[in-house]
Amino acid sequence: MLKKKKANIITENIIFLILNLTFITILILFLFSKTSNESVLEEKYAKKIALLLDAAEPGMIIFLDMKDAIDLAKKNGIKAEEIVKINKNIVTVKLSEDGGYSYSFFNNLDFGEKSNFYVNEEKTGFVFVIG
Amino acid sequence: MKKLKIGNKKGAEKIISVYWFAMLFIVAASLVYIVSVFYGKPYDIRKIEADFLADKIASCFSKNGFIKEDFSQINSNNFLDRCSLTFDTEDSFGWKNDQYYIETNFYDLNSGNLIHSLNQGNPSLKNFCNIKGENFPVCLEKTLYTIDKQNNQYQIKILSIVRKTEKNV
Repeated sequence: MLKKKKANIITENIIFLILNLTFITILILFLFSKTSNESVLEEKYAKKIALLLDAAEPGMIIFLDMKDAIDLAKKNGIKAEEIVKINKNIVTVKLSEDGGYSYSFFNNLDFGEKSNFYVNEEKTGFVFVIG
Repeated sequence: MKKLKIGNKKGAEKIISVYWFAMLFIVAASLVYIVSVFYGKPYDIRKIEADFLADKIASCFSKNGFIKEDFSQINSNNFLDRCSLTFDTEDSFGWKNDQYYIETNFYDLNSGNLIHSLNQGNPSLKNFCNIKGENFPVCLEKTLYTIDKQNNQYQIKILSIVRKTEKNV
């Protein structure tokens, strides 16, 4: 009788513990998915690059660490070279096939002619060369 | 009497566990709500943009503390070209390259007279500068003092305004 009672208590506690762990795991997964999802990173980096280019002066070489974005894009089948695109004065960051976020900068830098950008050799970020 | 006590204890434990799950649910719901509100909102970078724009204009008219000799030749028509700026924006939310406005006034510091003035962009944005609230354009005013080679002193007032509300609020 006592043994049965003890077993009951242990089972109840284990179920309770498993439920709690499941609950906490779901919460942590939710937090991670929210903080590192494509749309959040696309917006973050598009705006970062726009600000960086707004403040840039001719002769500068700027490196922007984008390792998390490059890793995420790789998972989604996007090549590192295709993540950042600059058309006239609009920067677009794309981390998934149907994603993409664009933001404009006011500094007239003439990308493709005077200025240029590329992925660094280690594929951890982008290098912007301001001409 | 003893049996009744044991029964009560079990009942109390059940109630506590119900409360425990209710608490967990409340914590989870508030966490989801806070995270959704925080990450659902775009990053607002308009203040920094307005600041950079004003700095860019300041360095366009003044170098190493001296005002550029041909500053009076820069007017609203050639300002963007001369200062290497562009006010074109992405084609979204019905924007028609009307998200920026700048106004620059040059004063003779001794007499206080306005000697040169120029503006560029969407002038209607200026009407919102006195209204507080994140749904309105961000206005920033900067003043700098400079001299020319003849030691004449100038005050330059720069007003820069960035709208882009839909992408920042």
